[in-house]
Amino acid sequence: MTPQLRAVMTVLRKELTDALRDRRTLLTVLVSSVLMGPLILVAISGLVASLEAQAEQREVYVAGLANAPTLRNFLERQTYTVKEAPADYEEALRKSRFTDPVVVVHRDFETELARGESPVVEIVSDSANQRSEASAGRIERLLGGFARERVVLNLAMRGVAVQLLEPIDVESRDLASPQTRATRITGMLPYFVMMAVLYGALNAALDTTAGERERGSLEPLLMNPVERWALVIGKWAAVAGVAMLIAVLSSFSFLPGQWVLRSDTLAALFQYGPREAFYFLVVLVPFAAALSAVLMAVAIRCRTFKEAQASATIVLLATSLLPLINIFNLGSDAPWHLWIPALAQNTLMMRVLKGEGFGVADILIPLTVCVVLTLGGIGFVARMLRHAAMK
Amino acid sequence: MIEVSGLAKSFVVAEAGRRRGLAALVPRRGRGGRVVHAVRDVSLHAVDGRITGLLGPNGAGKTTTLRMLAGLLTPDAGQLRVDGIDVVARPREVLARMGMLSDSRGLYPRLTARENIVYYGTLQGMTRDAADARAVELARMFAMTTLLDRRTDGFSQGERMKTALVRALVHDPSNIVLDEPTNGLDVIATRALRENLRWLRSAAGGGKCIVFSTHIMQEVERLCDSVVVVADGRAVASGTVPELLERTGETDFEEAFVKLAFPAETWRPAA
Repeated sequence: MTPQLRAVMTVLRKELTDALRDRRTLLTVLVSSVLMGPLILVAISGLVASLEAQAEQREVYVAGLANAPTLRNFLERQTYTVKEAPADYEEALRKSRFTDPVVVVHRDFETELARGESPVVEIVSDSANQRSEASAGRIERLLGGFARERVVLNLAMRGVAVQLLEPIDVESRDLASPQTRATRITGMLPYFVMMAVLYGALNAALDTTAGERERGSLEPLLMNPVERWALVIGKWAAVAGVAMLIAVLSSFSFLPGQWVLRSDTLAALFQYGPREAFYFLVVLVPFAAALSAVLMAVAIRCRTFKEAQASATIVLLATSLLPLINIFNLGSDAPWHLWIPALAQNTLMMRVLKGEGFGVADILIPLTVCVVLTLGGIGFVARMLRHAAMK
Repeated sequence: MIEVSGLAKSFVVAEAGRRRGLAALVPRRGRGGRVVHAVRDVSLHAVDGRITGLLGPNGAGKTTTLRMLAGLLTPDAGQLRVDGIDVVARPREVLARMGMLSDSRGLYPRLTARENIVYYGTLQGMTRDAADARAVELARMFAMTTLLDRRTDGFSQGERMKTALVRALVHDPSNIVLDEPTNGLDVIATRALRENLRWLRSAAGGGKCIVFSTHIMQEVERLCDSVVVVADGRAVASGTVPELLERTGETDFEEAFVKLAFPAETWRPAA
């Protein structure tokens, strides 16, 4: 081993020891970032499971049930259980105490229906109460069925063919594969993984640059017979190592996260196995390397850790906002997306979640971008190091 | 042996106050701003087995001179040689022969004193075992054995200073350069440091070449074999303490120093 390579290893080893001793920060990153994805997955699955349970229960809450024996008869024929809504349903819905929409029937419903006067039936839900809103569509379709049945019966009595009512037959066909549909729910996971990597790198990157300046340990460090690039590569390797560790942990954390999925539907849709985890890593490892170098380059200009945190906000903001281009466009990928850091990683990880995967050609562009950023960052820090040590 | 001759260094300092409004936000291009001559003409000759003091008021250019000696700054003019090796041309070879306690002497708070010292030892090219053995040996000498396996987080000023000094000496350099080492030390720690430096100068301690910058006269009087007085970026006088007293015709070294360092106010030395 050449002396400079030995120095790289020495710096790497020291910085890793230093970073791993910072238990509190490390624990915060692990808990807040790495567990975030699986926790969100579990939360989503809980929501989906309860929606499914609601649909399976086949219950309809009606206010003024006694006024509508015809409607009740129809609903019961559709194998629904019809229940009288609580008296304070409006208040309960508003406060999310009650999660089913309520069908409100007026006193004159039956007489108006018999006379053909189109009685008003209200479906009461609260759009801020998401679960009641989610089943409102189902109730609306159910009432639509009731109306259609009335029409069909009336026309049949007058000898009109039912087909006249439906001159065209509308059928919808969904081309999305189950995985593609699932990304509507799981689409935020790549975002959380990237944030985890970012926060993993952040503290170490700032500590090895601005932190070193603030402590006054950079100047004595440069008084060792070691090339500056060797010092910087050692530091960068340690920061990137921590970030990559977080990448590995968060990518694989979805595997056990899957076992606790409470919704069978979601579990069937969210196909995430070791193969997907591997694809995630292929995307994330170069990203972790580039992010570490960029954060170090930003922080080396700052005299204190605090100042560096403020400057690093730009990087944090870019990393968190760029993937939104993808989320807002709802899956329509443009070729240039692969050239933008963070956006490219998000795009590729979304493809993995959709079950599409990606080829070597797709990863080559973001990989090149990451290599350029890494080299640029390291070069900049090495160039700034001597100047930074003395101010 | 450390030889410095005709050293000069100036900096360009941007004047923030001059530009107002939006103009202040635009980065200044080219070599605008005020030129500060930190070092104008400093020469010194420090030989092995002697302690050479670099005495000067605050802002005289001592730290800048020592930073150039460590290769952190490139001089505008002049020569720097350590054991005959040119600092500008072969900085790493020089650093391997020099132990430097600089103005900033930060430690890594999450590492123990031993780890801090061994880190520098390995960066100096020692094996971990050799560096560790040397850390133990130096710790005994500086009476800090009990500190070795404590994290430096809660160290006192004196304990920090000792650790930083041991860290600078871990590779057993033949040249030792200390920038204001007694800053923040109490009487006991200062006395201990003096004892240690005397020992390092002696044949038993390795007959080191020691350069020591300070603004405190008493330290120079008590410790230094020869003195270089620096004022306003220039080496204005050099010699032993008795020689400088004789030159200025004073009995008090403080008076002699003031005469040498601030000639315009009191006395101008004959060329």
